[in-house]
Amino acid sequence: MEIRELKPLTRVEGEGRVILKFKDGLVEDVYINIFEPPRFFEGILKGRKFSSVMDITARICGICPIAYQMSSVQAIESIFGVEVFSEIENLRRLFYYSEWISSHVLHIFFLHLPDFLGVSSIFDIHRVQPEVVKRVLRLKEYGAKLTELIGGRSSHPVSVVVGGFSKVPRKENFTKLLSDFDKVYEDAIFLFEYLASLNYPEYSLGEEVLFVSLIDGDNYPILKGEIYSSDGFVVSKNEFSDYFVEYELPYSNAKFCKRKDGRHYIVGPLARFNNSFEKLLDSVKQLALKYRITPPVMNPYKSILVRMLEVIDCLERGRSVMEKYRDITKPVVDYRVVAGVGTGISEAPRGVLWHRYRLNSDGLVEEADIVPPTSQNQYVMELDVRRCLAGKTEKESLEKVEEAEKLIRNYDPCISCATHFLRVEVIS
Amino acid sequence: MRVGVFKFSSCDGCQLAFFDVLEELLKSREIQIEFFLEAQSINRFDTFDVSFVEGSVSTEEEEERIRQIRESSRYLVSIGACAVSGGIQSIRNFLDFETLKNEVYNYVDLHNSLPTSRPISDYVKVNYEVRGCPINAFELVEIVTSIILNKSLTVNLNPVCVECKAKGNICILVLGSPCLGPITASGCGALCPSFKRGCYGCFGPLRGSNFEGLKQIFKERGWDFQESILSSFNSYNKNFRDEVWKLGS
Repeated sequence: MEIRELKPLTRVEGEGRVILKFKDGLVEDVYINIFEPPRFFEGILKGRKFSSVMDITARICGICPIAYQMSSVQAIESIFGVEVFSEIENLRRLFYYSEWISSHVLHIFFLHLPDFLGVSSIFDIHRVQPEVVKRVLRLKEYGAKLTELIGGRSSHPVSVVVGGFSKVPRKENFTKLLSDFDKVYEDAIFLFEYLASLNYPEYSLGEEVLFVSLIDGDNYPILKGEIYSSDGFVVSKNEFSDYFVEYELPYSNAKFCKRKDGRHYIVGPLARFNNSFEKLLDSVKQLALKYRITPPVMNPYKSILVRMLEVIDCLERGRSVMEKYRDITKPVVDYRVVAGVGTGISEAPRGVLWHRYRLNSDGLVEEADIVPPTSQNQYVMELDVRRCLAGKTEKESLEKVEEAEKLIRNYDPCISCATHFLRVEVIS
Repeated sequence: MRVGVFKFSSCDGCQLAFFDVLEELLKSREIQIEFFLEAQSINRFDTFDVSFVEGSVSTEEEEERIRQIRESSRYLVSIGACAVSGGIQSIRNFLDFETLKNEVYNYVDLHNSLPTSRPISDYVKVNYEVRGCPINAFELVEIVTSIILNKSLTVNLNPVCVECKAKGNICILVLGSPCLGPITASGCGALCPSFKRGCYGCFGPLRGSNFEGLKQIFKERGWDFQESILSSFNSYNKNFRDEVWKLGS
């Protein structure tokens, strides 16, 4: 068996590689080998105080720290029996919208768009289309400024505490963001139309793949909800681990997930859009229909358009929260530390993020369990790459490596979350 | 100027700071980004005028790779608490690694993972360290500008308390909550105290600060000093680790 390193897999968050296994000169099997060094978060959380958990889990991912904070804080609040005030919940939604805007814009334009233009990076796009990049940066900054206002800084914000926020903004703090809104909204629409004008490869997920996302009343899912599978199956956050299982395979430091009945599924923008299209804002639905983006979207390449629609939805919803915002006099609910087990679930930009903690009566973590979106997408991501490369000769497969990388990027994998260097190795 | 950006064990948050200052960086025609896996699909590993390294060294492969990067770089800059101190994942340096591994994984072969997560400076000479979890993006611009202009960099000598006082915050310790501000390097703008909570140490220990004094205050008030230091993202910093070991005994 010969192992050859070909070229790094790039423009993804974290490090991993595709491994091709040859038999009789043909690709027999394909694996995505994630060897991002594990940082053992579930282990190092043990013994930590409940109040440090949101600070620590944020560091699992520099792109979606708020998602980690929201799933953690809600898990701990469910142990303490805390119900936050509705104005705090609205502020948490606004906080989460800001992360979706920043995270989606980062993936759409910095990591994903170069694939559609056949260039290496956003630096190349800047050389030929500086006006597009200018709008991208303005939009990204808007998300970052909103995160900063509520959380103190755009990455690893500091204000989320059990029971609410350590400090909340005042109404007048939103004035600048509200006055900049129209310009940024126009940028977002311009950028959506720009993306819609790109050429999309013909591709479809298999019918057997389920879409799993949260459902939360009339809301497009983000902060909380029950877990809905596209075959109609619904479970509560506390039942997640009864119906969805994580499993390990020897070639990956990230775990895989499936439903206990053996069905594989994806989470993230396509799942949310396909399951909850009706719950998008009317203006966003109109925009989707105008460009013939209707559920079920089965082409993962088009996830870039769905992400952009979600950005627009977050912007408009964000404006509404900012406009209706009234000064909050009591930002934290009183609570008593008790022992117990609790779960928290929310929609990270990349999909369903589930946490469970067991605390002792001193509020110290005895057990932590975290299921990130990328582990849940890993199987189907691998299926796409296998479909692309299996049965090919060595020469053919090497020509198709670039396409395989694109198929992976469609899922916006967050490898730090799921456990490094994406490299392609050939075993022959 | 040939620039490389490299990731080791980390959350990716610090290298993303390059995207935050994209416009500033693009203004200079002198900057050529030669290697940056997260940003571009065409990368060249040759020689670098400056290499920015995010993340800690936690695997055998990373031990080898950091030496290659050092040999290929004129300046090597560690960015963020993982690269500077070992990061939050260095809590494991104070735990039994075998037990920890078995708690998280059952079957995956982790022979490549080291029992410790260490800062870059434990392995190779580092020319400059940018502190923070995450770093302040404008420090990157400052470093790049300084290297292009061949000017020296200023070293931060103040604790968080100086920024905190300048902001007019009421002292968190006086208000009755634990705060690592007195022994933590400034750079965040006294963020946590400004958000009505104690500093938890993102920018790491300030050399020469009164560690013993703060330990005493924590003890008198019945707060767990060891736990606060362990959760500080910088517990394995060279200025800290001997003290942290003593806390455990």
